[in-house]
Amino acid sequence: MGKSNLFINGIKGDKAIVLGNEAIARGALEAGIGYASMYPGTPASEIIAVLDKNKKYIENLYTEFSLNEHISLHGAIGASWSGVRSLCAMKNVGLNVASEPAQFLSYTGVKAGLVLAIGSDPGAPSSSNEQDDRWYSLHTYMPIMEPSNIQEAKDFTRDAFDVSEEFSFGVVLMAPSRLCHNAGALYFGDLKDRMEIKGDFKKDPENYLNLFGMAVRNHAKYLERNELLKKYLIDSKFNKIINGSSSKIGFISSGVIYAHLIEAFDILGIYDHKILKLGFTFPLPNELIKGFFKGLDKVVIVEEAEGFLEFQIKKIAYETGFKGAVYGKEYFNPTGELTIDDVISGISRFFEKPPPVSFDFAVKKDKELQAKLPQRSGTFCVGCPHRATFYSILKAVGFSNTEEKERDVVIAGDIGCYTLGLLPPYNAMDFLTCMNAGLEIGQAISIFDKNKKVIALVGDSTFYHSGVPALLNAVQNGADILYIILDNSWTAMTGHQKTPSTQKDIDGKPSQNPLNLKDLVKSLGVSYVKTIDPNSVKRFAALIKGALKESGVKVLIAKRECVLQEIRRNKSLNKNGGRSTETGESLYEIQKSRCVKCNECFVELACPAIILKKDEDKVSDYYYIDPASCVKCGVCYAVCPNSAIRKVEFDLRNEFKLSDKSLQITI
Amino acid sequence: MKKFNIAIIGLGGQGIITMGTVMKNAALSFDLRDVSGSERRGGAQREGYVETFVKYIFYENKSEMNDPRKNMHSPMIESGGANALISLEPLETLRGIRYLNKDSVVIFNETPYIPISVRMGKTSYPEIPFIVSELQNVTKNIFYYDFDRISLEKFKSLTQKNIIALGALFAKSDIPIEPSAVENILAEGKGAEENLRAFEIGLNL
Repeated sequence: MGKSNLFINGIKGDKAIVLGNEAIARGALEAGIGYASMYPGTPASEIIAVLDKNKKYIENLYTEFSLNEHISLHGAIGASWSGVRSLCAMKNVGLNVASEPAQFLSYTGVKAGLVLAIGSDPGAPSSSNEQDDRWYSLHTYMPIMEPSNIQEAKDFTRDAFDVSEEFSFGVVLMAPSRLCHNAGALYFGDLKDRMEIKGDFKKDPENYLNLFGMAVRNHAKYLERNELLKKYLIDSKFNKIINGSSSKIGFISSGVIYAHLIEAFDILGIYDHKILKLGFTFPLPNELIKGFFKGLDKVVIVEEAEGFLEFQIKKIAYETGFKGAVYGKEYFNPTGELTIDDVISGISRFFEKPPPVSFDFAVKKDKELQAKLPQRSGTFCVGCPHRATFYSILKAVGFSNTEEKERDVVIAGDIGCYTLGLLPPYNAMDFLTCMNAGLEIGQAISIFDKNKKVIALVGDSTFYHSGVPALLNAVQNGADILYIILDNSWTAMTGHQKTPSTQKDIDGKPSQNPLNLKDLVKSLGVSYVKTIDPNSVKRFAALIKGALKESGVKVLIAKRECVLQEIRRNKSLNKNGGRSTETGESLYEIQKSRCVKCNECFVELACPAIILKKDEDKVSDYYYIDPASCVKCGVCYAVCPNSAIRKVEFDLRNEFKLSDKSLQITI
Repeated sequence: MKKFNIAIIGLGGQGIITMGTVMKNAALSFDLRDVSGSERRGGAQREGYVETFVKYIFYENKSEMNDPRKNMHSPMIESGGANALISLEPLETLRGIRYLNKDSVVIFNETPYIPISVRMGKTSYPEIPFIVSELQNVTKNIFYYDFDRISLEKFKSLTQKNIIALGALFAKSDIPIEPSAVENILAEGKGAEENLRAFEIGLNL
C-alpha cells in the first residue's frame, strides 16, 4: 500500500496502487466483514495477511490463520450463521481440504454474506498442481465471480456479499496468481459503519439440520435458489455484452483472460466483433447465452485451463438450438498458464491473421536462445536450517550429489519451504503431491518394499495441518518409517504466519499457547523421538543413521527457527532499544592456502553465500564467503573436512573501547 | 492512446518488486493515465527468478478511457512488447529477451549470480560479450553497468542498486514520465535521502 494507510482509512475518491489480494481484502472491508480466516497459501496469502496486520486499527474484526482449510471455511460458516459477514481465503488446492464444508454450504445456506476467495495458480509457479477449482461448483453450486482487474477485484468482492445474502449461497471469488499479484490503481469506496457488527446466532433447524429427508429437502431448496440466481444473472451488471459491427463472430471470456483478450485484439488491430464478458462464470443462464448467440455463426470461448466455460456453453448451445459453431480449446492451451502471448497466437490462428513482426521475431529469438541458457531454480535462503537438514540426510544415507549412483533410501516429500530440497543439488525427494502425502504414501511403501528404508519429511505447519492423524495412523498400524519434522516455528513460505510451534513473535512477544511438539508426538504413541539442532550436521547425520537401524515409527524433530525471522527479531529488538544479545562480532572465512576445492561446502552444502571468485591473474579462481550475504550460521565451518574455513571472532567493545550504549549504535 | 511497457527482471531479494511499486506510484496522480502489471513472485526464494511488469497507458481523453475496447488491463507484456527492460542479473537479461523489439531500451547489471546448475559444473555461465551480442541481434539500445559495485561504493550496501537502475532508465530511454514523479514517490518512502541520491546517480550514468 501507499504512504498513509489508505487500506483502513481510504474513502470514496481516494486512489492508490494496490495489490490484487489487497483489493479483495479491501472489498470485503467495504462490505463490512467481521470475520476473516485462511490457511496460508500462495498466491492467496496477502488477502488475510493484510487484514490481520491491520486489525488493531479496525473495529470488530476477527482474523484467524486456521490450522487447515476445513477448519477455516467452517469458521466462516459459523460467523455467517451468527449474522456476521465472513471472508475465507485459500489457494486452489485448499478447496480439496475444504470441499466438505463447501459441499454442505449449499444445503444449509448462509445467514450473513459469506465469500470464499480462491487464489488459483495456472502454470503452478507456486503449487504442486494447477487444478481449476471452478469445476467444484458443478456439485457445490457455489456461484463463481471472476474479476479481471484490480478495480473489479475490490468491487466484485464487495458486491459478492450482497449476492450471497440474497440467494443464500457462499460465493466464490476466483483470482488467478496473475490477478492476486497484479499491482495497479484502485479507486476506493466508502466503508460501512463497523459498530453495527454483532453476532447473534438464531436457531434455524429447517436449514441447518441435515439428516435423511431433511437433507433431501435442502437439496431441492438449493436447486431452486440456483434457478432464482440464474434469472437474476440474465441482465445483471456483472455480465456485459460489447456489441460489434456486422460481424457474425462472437467471443466469450472472463477474468484476467478477458483482459488479455482485449489487449490481444488491440495488438492485432481487430475491433469489430461482439464480446461477452462474464463476471459470473457459474451459474450461466441459458437466456443470457442465447441472447448473445443471436446473429452469430461462430462463437469462440477464450479461457484458461480445461474449458469450464466451453463445457457449460456447449450444453446451453445444444439446449437452445444454436445452429452455429462453438470453438474453444482448439485454439487455447488447456495446460499451463494462458499468457497474453497464447491469446494473441490463438486469435491470430483463428482469423488467419499474422501477429506483428516484432511479436514473431521475439518468440523465435526466445525459443532459439532458451535451450542454451543455464537453468536457474530457487534454493534455500542463506542460513536456512533446511539446507543443513538435507545435507545431513544425504550424508547419513551415504549419498553425494556429484556421484551417479542411485540413492537407495526412499525420501517422501511434502509441502513447504523444504520442498525446494527436491531440486538440484540435493535431489532429495522421490515424490511430492499434496499436504501430508509424504508420510501417508511412505507408510505403505515401508510395508511393501522391505528392501528400502523410508524417510518421510514434513514441516511444522504441514504437520499441524493434517499430519497428526497421519502419524497416529502410522503408529497404530506398525509402520516402519523415519519421520523427520522440520520445525522452523513458522509457516515460512507463505510469508511467516504463526504455527503452534511459534515461541516468540518477531517483536519478541511470547506466543500465548506454544505447543510442546515432542510431548505431542510422544502422546501419539511414538517412543523413539529426539530433538536436534539441524545445524549440528555431524550429530544430525549420526542420529539419522542410528534411527534408520531401529524398527517402527521413529521421529526426529529438526528444531531451529527460520533464520529470516531470527534476523528480523534481532533487528527489531535492537531498533527498539533492546539489548543486543551479541557483544562480539564474528565472521567465517575460507583460507585460500588450505582450501583444496573439495566442493563439500560449494556443491554438497551449496550455500549461496559461498561464491567463486577470480584471482587477480584472472585465470584461476577460488572459493570465498561473501560477508555481505553470510549470516554466520556456521554450517560450512562444520562440514569442511580440511579445516580450511575458520571463524574469526573479535570483540568490538575491546577493540574500540566502547561503552555498551555506543556499541549498539555502531552495530 | 499510447502505451509504455517496462519489464523489470532479476532474482529474489534484489528489490525487483519495489522497483515496480515505485514506478506504478509515479503514474498515480495523473487522471488520464492508467497503470497495471503483475509480479511473478511465487516460489521467489533466494536466487529464484522474479519479474514485474509496469504498463503505462496514456489516454487522449475521457471517452477513450471509458471505451471497453481501449481499456487495457492485461497484467502481462506480450513478446516484443516492452519499451524498456531492466535486468539486475546478466544471465536473466537473456531470459527477458522475449520482451524486446528493435526499439527497446535494455539496461542491465553486470554482477552475475551463479545458478546451481553452473555451480555443479553441469553448464557454464555466459560471458558478458555473448550476452551483449545476443541482445544486439534484437536492439542496439543496450546499456550495462555494475550496479552492485556502484551501490557498494556509494552506499556501502547493495540495497540501492535497484533505484540506481531506475535512474538509468530515465537517463537512457524516452520514458514519458517525468523524473520528478519518481522523486516525489521516493521522497515519501523509507530511506528517502539515500534513495533520492541513488536515483540521481542513475540519472547521471
